[in-house]
Order: sequence, then structure tokens, then C-alpha cells
Amino acid sequence: MQVNRRKLGALVCVLLATAAVAGGAAASHAGKTPGVSKHQILIGGTFPYSGPAALYKTIPTAEQAYYAYVNAKGGVHGRKIKDLAVNDEYNPAETVPAVKKLVEQNHVFAIVGSLGTAPGLATWKYLNTRHVPQVLLATGDAYWGKCVHRACPGAGSTSPKPWTMGWQPDYPGEARLYAKYILKHKPNAKIGVLYQDDAFGKNYLNGLKSGLGSHKSQIVDAQAYSVTDSGAVVGSHVVHIATSGADAFVIFATPSAAIAALATEGQIPNWHPLTINSNVAANPVFMRIAAKNGANPNGVLSTTYLSSATTQGDLPGMKLAKTIIHKYAPALDQQFASGDSNLVYGLAVGWTFVDGLRHAGKNPTRKSLMHALRTLNEKNNPFIYPGMSVKTSKKRNFPMQQLIFIKWSGGGTGDFHATGKVLNSGH
Amino acid sequence: MKRQIPALASLLVVAAVLCVLPFILSDYNIYLAAQVGIFFVAVLGLNILTGYTGQISIGHGAFMAIGGYTTAVMSRDHHTNLVVTMLMALAICFVVGLIVGLPALRFSGVYLALVTFALAVSVPFIPLQYSTFLGGVGGVTSSEEVSNLWIYVAAWTCSAISFLLAWLLLRGRLGRAFRAIRDSEIAAVASGVELPVYKTLAFGISAAYAGVAGSLFVLATNGFANPDEFGIFLSLQLLVGAAIAGLGSLWGILAGAAFVGLLPQVSSSVPVIGHDQGRDVVFGAAVILVMLLLPDGFAGLVARLRRLARA
Repeated sequence: MQVNRRKLGALVCVLLATAAVAGGAAASHAGKTPGVSKHQILIGGTFPYSGPAALYKTIPTAEQAYYAYVNAKGGVHGRKIKDLAVNDEYNPAETVPAVKKLVEQNHVFAIVGSLGTAPGLATWKYLNTRHVPQVLLATGDAYWGKCVHRACPGAGSTSPKPWTMGWQPDYPGEARLYAKYILKHKPNAKIGVLYQDDAFGKNYLNGLKSGLGSHKSQIVDAQAYSVTDSGAVVGSHVVHIATSGADAFVIFATPSAAIAALATEGQIPNWHPLTINSNVAANPVFMRIAAKNGANPNGVLSTTYLSSATTQGDLPGMKLAKTIIHKYAPALDQQFASGDSNLVYGLAVGWTFVDGLRHAGKNPTRKSLMHALRTLNEKNNPFIYPGMSVKTSKKRNFPMQQLIFIKWSGGGTGDFHATGKVLNSGH
Repeated sequence: MKRQIPALASLLVVAAVLCVLPFILSDYNIYLAAQVGIFFVAVLGLNILTGYTGQISIGHGAFMAIGGYTTAVMSRDHHTNLVVTMLMALAICFVVGLIVGLPALRFSGVYLALVTFALAVSVPFIPLQYSTFLGGVGGVTSSEEVSNLWIYVAAWTCSAISFLLAWLLLRGRLGRAFRAIRDSEIAAVASGVELPVYKTLAFGISAAYAGVAGSLFVLATNGFANPDEFGIFLSLQLLVGAAIAGLGSLWGILAGAAFVGLLPQVSSSVPVIGHDQGRDVVFGAAVILVMLLLPDGFAGLVARLRRLARA
């Protein structure tokens, strides 16, 4: 605090002030492995607490709540987990200084759960050359699993990235499941696709095409929107799709655009296509907003890999989740009760990290953590959908490769309900 | 720079401190000091346009984007020497700046600000449109990643050259013409200043500075260029940096650059609000305070202190 006042109050002296800070900054390296001391394991991550993606800020809070819960029970091998989650506003130019600070100044053991594709890409080379684990990233792009053993020049990666891994199912795999569903339940469907005009939307679209295979000519209209388009522009794309005669409507969009698309669809007379909304935007909270704006949410299909706090509240995992949130992040009680899946997501990732840490040995090193995370076998993660598992091996670098279809019923006050069996979305 | 001796003395003091810093700072703080150097170049450039010539730009983030992408793409595709990419960024931004300067001949004040604002808003979308060449939302990663010390030396060397160049340019005929335009366009024209030439030139020079800063900025972001880095907030930060700097003082520009360069790091450690909203709150509060207490920026403060010392 003294530093701040000095810098704000007398900016003239700022360089000298920085010099003064430097003296105190020669932080204590305890032991050989950075971030691991006798009673504590220090980790860090970057998240959008403010800015355009601030919708996701409940994720790190849920992760920290889970660590607090584990710490209260004695921690992992006697060490408490401390998580320095930092705000990067979803801006790579802020992610880099933040990660440098975590690694070079705070000497964290690992970067865990950081959110966003671009922030991940901006730091993965840096972290890999320093052998700092960059794990359980909150992004569904395929880079994190594909580039472990080989270079991915397309993603600006000229060397393998063994210290990086994701967590959630990847987007193309999810889209392939939608293709299969359409071919099975509506084999002659004329498909209209709305997708975001970037890597995220195109990954999804390509997955859908590869899933359709020789049937990909059934896509009669594919409309791209830009992430900054207004709801009205998104709506005009939806009208275009409706006039193309499509009777299956697939939405690969981030939340606000997906809400606008569903709302427009509901207002077009005599158009009742089979509607699929990717799991990125399938948060019950968003669906209810869409319904309020004129969408007919009944029958909308999506997929999930998490348990639902609302429809599966009786599961032991969801009861535990409720207790943890109530005890360690009480401000989010209401959010949890309304079914915000980001909270369950955060708890589930926290669970996987703690699981990895347990298997990394009594005196974990960065290497042993990576080894543990590359040989995960979780059948009992209480927060993911019952019957699914989190698994990795030498050949398997995508920890989650299962999804289950969910279908909305009950209108504006309804919810998603699982339908069918757990499916494989793997490679 | 009327009183040459004290100016020279402060220049030497700053240079000496900058030379010593790498030996006493930790690696991470060297990186932070480099950030200040990067914004020194950008704020200095904007100062030439806004402070000296009186043309407002809320679009300098766009020039930084162009400079940054130039470096990232050249390094990715041709493994070009990074210093060469910086010179290229300088050249490209100079030309683009001249072109953007054209509307300045017809617009002034708020309207010119709006034109540059449009630039700041639209340029970050170009990479999304041409995603094969410019990487789209996935960004462009340059082939080299530089160390903290490298970026520190590069940033402050560029700062020194920029400062010297600005001093040489502005002390003579060019600077006089710029100031004449700022004070009264009609009087300037009447005294033989060719408005089209000098106005576009001011934009070009200022944009070239921003281009070099953008190039350094991307190198400091691990050589990764992405549209999210060059949002409208960056342009606003630069403008605020220039306002804090005031006119024509080394100390002022240092203060402005330090404010912009260190703000995200420093403000996130403010208790209570720091984590979520620290940057916005500190930014807003500082702007209000500076405008209230130092209407002429830090340069004004320095001048006032000098007057006090003499009195």
C-alpha cells in the first residue's frame, strides 16, 4: 500500500520507487520447487474479473471455494493451497505481465485454470520454455490437447507444448455429436447454422461438417456474425436462415448472441426448427433471459458434462457443492440456486487439480504434477455428470471426452433435462 | 527547452538512473520499467500531435496495433531481425499517419477526435476479417521471444532516440509551425505556414512513434499480437498519459508513461476494489485529480516549481 501511495502521489519519483520495491522483491524461494513450501502450495491463474468476458468471473471464485474446503480438511499432504487469481480483463497484453508476475515475482508452482484462448496462446510458449505447468485451461479449443507431443505451426507453436493442458471437451468433438443426432433423428433435415466468425465458431462449424460427412450438403445456410454485432444484426442472420427453408437450426455462439438468436427465432411465425444451442451458451440462466425476450425455449437441445445444481440437486455431489459455496463463497448462493453452471465448472476443475496434486507425491515437483495430470483416472469427480470420467494417458491428452444431451422443457421458468445416454465426443 | 543547462542536467540524471536500474531491479521489475519505456515513446509521439500541434487523437491505439502486427507478422513469416521490424513499423505507421492526417485538414476539435475514434474502433477488426494472414482471433505469434532485459534496453534506447529526435525536430522551424497551427490556424497560414503539409506531417510523425511503441508492446507481450490487446481503452490511456505529461517536459512524459505503463499492475493490488475494478477506479480518480490539481499536466507542475524556486 505504501508503494501505491508513493507511485500515485509522486509519479515523478516512480523509477526510484520501483528501485525501492526491488529490494523487497527478492522473495523467498522456499525449497527447490517454486511455490511449494512446508505448509503451502502457491498457484496462480488469470481470469476476466472485469471487461467483456466478466460473465465468467464466478469460475475462479468457485475454484478458490473448493481449495478453501480442502484446506479446512487439512490440505493436500499437509500443505494448504493458495490460489492467486489475477484479473487480466481477457486481454493478452494484460495476461502476459500478470503471468510474468506470478512466475517471476510470486514464484507460483503452476498456472491453473486460466481462462480464454488468446490469453492461453499468449503465454504458453513462455510457460513451456520455463517448465511451468499451464494446466486445466478454461477454453475448449483443440490446441491444448493436440500440441502436446508435436508442433502446431498453425497455432504459432513451432515446438511441442508438454507443459500445457486443457480440461473441458473440445468444440469440434461436441459439434460432431450434434451432426450424429441430426442424422439419426431428422435424416432429411435442411440445416441452418449461425456461428461466430472466429476460431471458436469455425472450430464448431468444421466439427459439424466432419460429423455430417457426405451429408454436409444438407447445410443449406451458414451465417457468420461478429462477436461485437448487436442483437439486431444477429437477428437478421437468423431471419436469413429461416427464409432458406432450414428445419434444423444450429447455434454456435457466445451467450449474448445466442440469446438474441433464440429470441428472434421465437418471433418468426410458423418456423419451428429443431434447435441446437452449443454448451457454451447453454447455461439455464441465459436460457431464461432468452425466454423473457420472446424465445420459445422448449425443445432446445444442447449438451453438458457437468451436473446440474437445479435438476440434480439430490446428487451427493450437488449437495456438497451447495455446502461448499454456502460456506466459502456465500455471496454466490443465489447464483448457485439459479443453476449457474460456471460455479459447478469451477468446483469440478478444483477437484481435478487437487486430485492431480495428491497423485504428484508428498513432495510434488512441477514434473511430478504434470505426470499426475497426464495419468488422471477420475471416475468419482462429484461435480461432473454422473457416469462420466476425467482421464488422461500417453495417447489421450483431452481429459474430458464425454457429453450428454440435454433438452429444455417448462418454458420461461423451466430447465434443461438430460436425455439419452452419456456419449463419447473423443477423437 | 529554453534554459538549456537544467534541462541537460535532468536529462543526464534520468539517463544515469536508467543505466543503473537493470543492475538493482529484479527481473520482473525490469520488465515493468520496460513497459514505462514503451509508453514513453507512445506518449511522446502523441504529445507532438496533441500538445504541440493541437490536433486531438483518440485513435493512437490503432497505430500501435499496426506497428505491433507488423513486427509479429514479419517475425512469424520471415524471421526478420526484430530491430528491422521496428523500423518497418515506423515506416508503415508514418505513411498511414499521413493518410489519416488528411481528414484533419477538414475537421477540427471534436470532429477530428471522432474520426480518430473510428480508427481506434475499426482497426482491431481488420485481423478478424483477414484471418489467414493476420491470425484472426487466434493472434499472430512472432518467432522470437525476448527476455525482460532485452525489452528494457530496446524500449529505453527507442525512448532516448525518440526524445532526441523530437527535441531536434521541434526546436526549429517545424516546431514553430506546429505551435503556430495550435495557437491559431488563420494566423499560421497568414505567416506562410502551409497547413496541409504540417498537419499531415504532425500526424505522420506521431503515428510513427506510436508504431514503434506498438512494436515494442507486442514484443513485451511475448511476441503475441491479438485484436483484444488494442481495444479502445488503450487509445484512451495514451490520451490520458499525454494529458498527464503536459507540454514538452521530460519529467512530464516520464510521469505520463509511468502512469499508463504501471497502472494495470499497481492498481490490481489496491485493497478491496483492486481485484475486480481497481484499474478503472484508480484510472478515473487519477484523471480527475490530475485535471483538478495539474491542469497543465506534470510539465505545468515542473514549471510552477521552477518559478517558486526562483522567487
